[in-house]
Amino acid sequence: MLKKELILQNPLRFIGDETEDILPEGGFGAVLARAGVGKTALLVQLALHTLLKGKYVLHISLDDPVNKISLWYKEVFRHLTKSYDAKNTNKLWEDLLPHRFIMTFKVEGFSVPKLEERLTDLKEQNIFSPQMVLIDGFHFNETARTSLSDLKRLAKNHSVHVWFSVKTHRHEKHGPGDMPSSLSDVSDLFDIVIQLQPEGKKIHVMTLKGGPADSDRPALFLDPATMLVKDTI
Amino acid sequence: MKNAINKARNIGISAHIDSGKTTLTERILFFTKRIHAIHDVKGKDGVGATMDSMDLEKERGITIASAATYCEWLGHEINIIDTPGHVDFTIEVERSLRVLDGAILVLCAVGGVQSQSITVDQQMKRYKVPCIAFINKCDRIGANPYRVIDQLREKLGHNAVTLQIPIGLEGDLEGVVDLVSMKAVYFDGANGEDVRIENIPQNLLQEALQRREDLIDAASMFSDQLTEAVLEEQEVSQDMIISAVRMGTLTRQLTPVFMGSAYKNKGVQPLLDAVTKLLPCPYDVKNEALDMDNDETLITLSGELDKPLVALAFKLEEGQYGQLTYIRVYQGSLSKGDTIVNARNGKKIKVGRVVRMHADQMEDIETIPAGYIGALFGIDCASGDTFVGPGINLTMTSMFVPDPVISLAIAPKDNASQINMSKALNRFSKEDPTFRTYVDDETKETIIEGMGELHLEVYVERMHREYTAEVTTGRPRVAYRETITRKGEFDYTLKKQTGGAGQYGRVAGYLEPVTETELVFENKIVGGKIPTQFIASCEKGFRQCMKKGPKMEFPVTGIKVVINDGASHSVDSSDMAFMAAARGAFREGYFRAGPVIHEPIMKVAVETPSEFQGAVMGLLNQRRGIIVGSQDEGPLCVVEARVPLAEMFGFSTVLRSSTQGKAQFTMELGSYKQVPESIAQELAKKAETEKKGK
Repeated sequence: MLKKELILQNPLRFIGDETEDILPEGGFGAVLARAGVGKTALLVQLALHTLLKGKYVLHISLDDPVNKISLWYKEVFRHLTKSYDAKNTNKLWEDLLPHRFIMTFKVEGFSVPKLEERLTDLKEQNIFSPQMVLIDGFHFNETARTSLSDLKRLAKNHSVHVWFSVKTHRHEKHGPGDMPSSLSDVSDLFDIVIQLQPEGKKIHVMTLKGGPADSDRPALFLDPATMLVKDTI
Repeated sequence: MKNAINKARNIGISAHIDSGKTTLTERILFFTKRIHAIHDVKGKDGVGATMDSMDLEKERGITIASAATYCEWLGHEINIIDTPGHVDFTIEVERSLRVLDGAILVLCAVGGVQSQSITVDQQMKRYKVPCIAFINKCDRIGANPYRVIDQLREKLGHNAVTLQIPIGLEGDLEGVVDLVSMKAVYFDGANGEDVRIENIPQNLLQEALQRREDLIDAASMFSDQLTEAVLEEQEVSQDMIISAVRMGTLTRQLTPVFMGSAYKNKGVQPLLDAVTKLLPCPYDVKNEALDMDNDETLITLSGELDKPLVALAFKLEEGQYGQLTYIRVYQGSLSKGDTIVNARNGKKIKVGRVVRMHADQMEDIETIPAGYIGALFGIDCASGDTFVGPGINLTMTSMFVPDPVISLAIAPKDNASQINMSKALNRFSKEDPTFRTYVDDETKETIIEGMGELHLEVYVERMHREYTAEVTTGRPRVAYRETITRKGEFDYTLKKQTGGAGQYGRVAGYLEPVTETELVFENKIVGGKIPTQFIASCEKGFRQCMKKGPKMEFPVTGIKVVINDGASHSVDSSDMAFMAAARGAFREGYFRAGPVIHEPIMKVAVETPSEFQGAVMGLLNQRRGIIVGSQDEGPLCVVEARVPLAEMFGFSTVLRSSTQGKAQFTMELGSYKQVPESIAQELAKKAETEKKGK
């Protein structure tokens, strides 16, 4: 029951309704923000909502150790379920855990062939088979295009869709469609691009590409206290 | 003791298994001239390192008990507690940390921050022990101290700054560059005892300058004087840097990093200098005790010599001369001939010999002043007891002791062993609070309980070696628990009238699940339906049921009992009758309350070369494990998982054989979780066949 309620409450429904995700297999999504604004928090929320649907999520982090990421999930989950009975939420949390797999790499140690090897290994041994992959901390530099194209192929082969976090910088130039320059070269690979834009005390959630236009859906904010997405503040 | 208290250091050396703690300690003792020859842990000369005094430790190449030892360096008195590195013995580590003022965290330059280092670091955090890091084994192939420093920052969250850079690495390790004095330090002579100081080699100068700048940058956070000097571009003196780094270290906001190779005798003397310069003296550390007369309020111990004595017995050891009690004095002083009081039981004790320990040799001293560590002879106490002077009633804060998770039945092989075994068990359970023993009422077997398979194995082995007690062991058993999942009502009447005085009692109410406690008993009876004098008997009856659950005879936890109705008989009701009625009521309510079995789930971290990652995950997966994640760290990779303890028996052997012995794992208790239905049925079947077998 709790699961259903949480799904229905999800203010992020616009990126996928109850059964379907907005991203097709092999599709890419990106969450853009400056450092410390809440990229990981948003990614974790996307992951939790996917987990609630009974799907499997592989979270790849290139910065943080496994413990820290588990902590992110725990915190966001705690905030999400704050108003519910602790006993049920504990049970739900236990149910969700086997659906999540965290993999961390050193930035320099991360490569698509390596990931592919790991992923195939997990699938072959029937340990874990994800439907959604999050990549947090991927460096969008000049060489990113090759890796991203490889990843796209990998995502298609394994029928997963991938969400990235993209760190932007204050002084970064913006290309067409308000796309920051780090992403503009590869933006054709992405189906949906969401930006977190702090304005005063609020953090706006805006879609730069894909998904319903901002005007067609209620405005979304990231609550700075809990880092949860809210449609009202 | 001859020195002022600010020249005393009580330090520990903690680290992951096999990062070379014992070797480092050995070298420290050699350079401080406490020993005159070096014996390696797994040395060919068969003597073994001086700190590993137990035969077993020598054989296995691991340190089990933390021996305390004393040495001097540059006019400072240093007490070193050698701590065990295996997670099965963490109570030893925790107990040692309790009495330490500072610690050296030894890390392997190849392995870096390994799973055990994380556990040890968490313990240091809990007891707020300031530490400095020593990156050992810089002579080994694949050594990279900078990677280890990064890991210190990322994995342990330390603000790690290096005070040295290596001159050469792996086989070419020659010495270190000291970034404070900006000199190169080499170690000459057969055992590296001659320290030669030279100018920094040209090729390292640039890097040294850069790293020194980083160091000053980090240190200036803790000293206005240093910040000013930097801003005004004045010369930065060595003292300024040292005192700023010390400030940061004492508050645990900065972790200075040193490096070298203990085995090759490089970098040990500068580390000793750092111990004297950077780690706290007993006076710098705030120690607290609980006031028993005043509702256990926390009071800070002053450390003054003329105040009444407060001391903690942190370790017992059966030495060749009798029982030895290691003791740390926090306030006042402890002298030969004093009368002291054991705060736990109020027993008065007269102090006989007072000694200072050096691994397994000792020297007699007159007195142990506040802040020092020493040992007493022939004192009957348990470890963790507080000793105080007459007139005060303080106890050191109780130490965190986890419940055992595994048990094993043991039986002596012959009569002589029987006596020795009970002697050994008595000693071990006094020494180690996580090791418990009891006799099962039904099977009459002696059961030992502990924190893991290896933990118990080592004690069985010690019984054999130290007490010549030959014992046979049964299969290890997991400490399962029972609990309920929903509310269950009961209304039970006990009625026995078969001539003579009968028994009568009716108890009604309900059971419901609670968390984090064993049993809550609530009396909601109104109108004296159960007379007040029998309420205590009811509670006793319920409590009796907690030891052995009605479902599978495992201990029961997490239950709230509420009684709200009942009846009594003026003649036939008695304490016995209500106790029996409560037991009946418990059984009735229990089966209505959805009883389930819980099992201990261990947090397991396996460290393996990347090529075996898949195999390791497969192994964990087969064992009902949930893999939380995998962490890639260059050549090595850590797989973290939650696995039921029941499935972890024999894991070390399987792991070794499927990874060519290159992987190692640590585990600790994570939580208790419900056993899946299929497993619960298997358990029930097994219990039944065992019953029939009897």
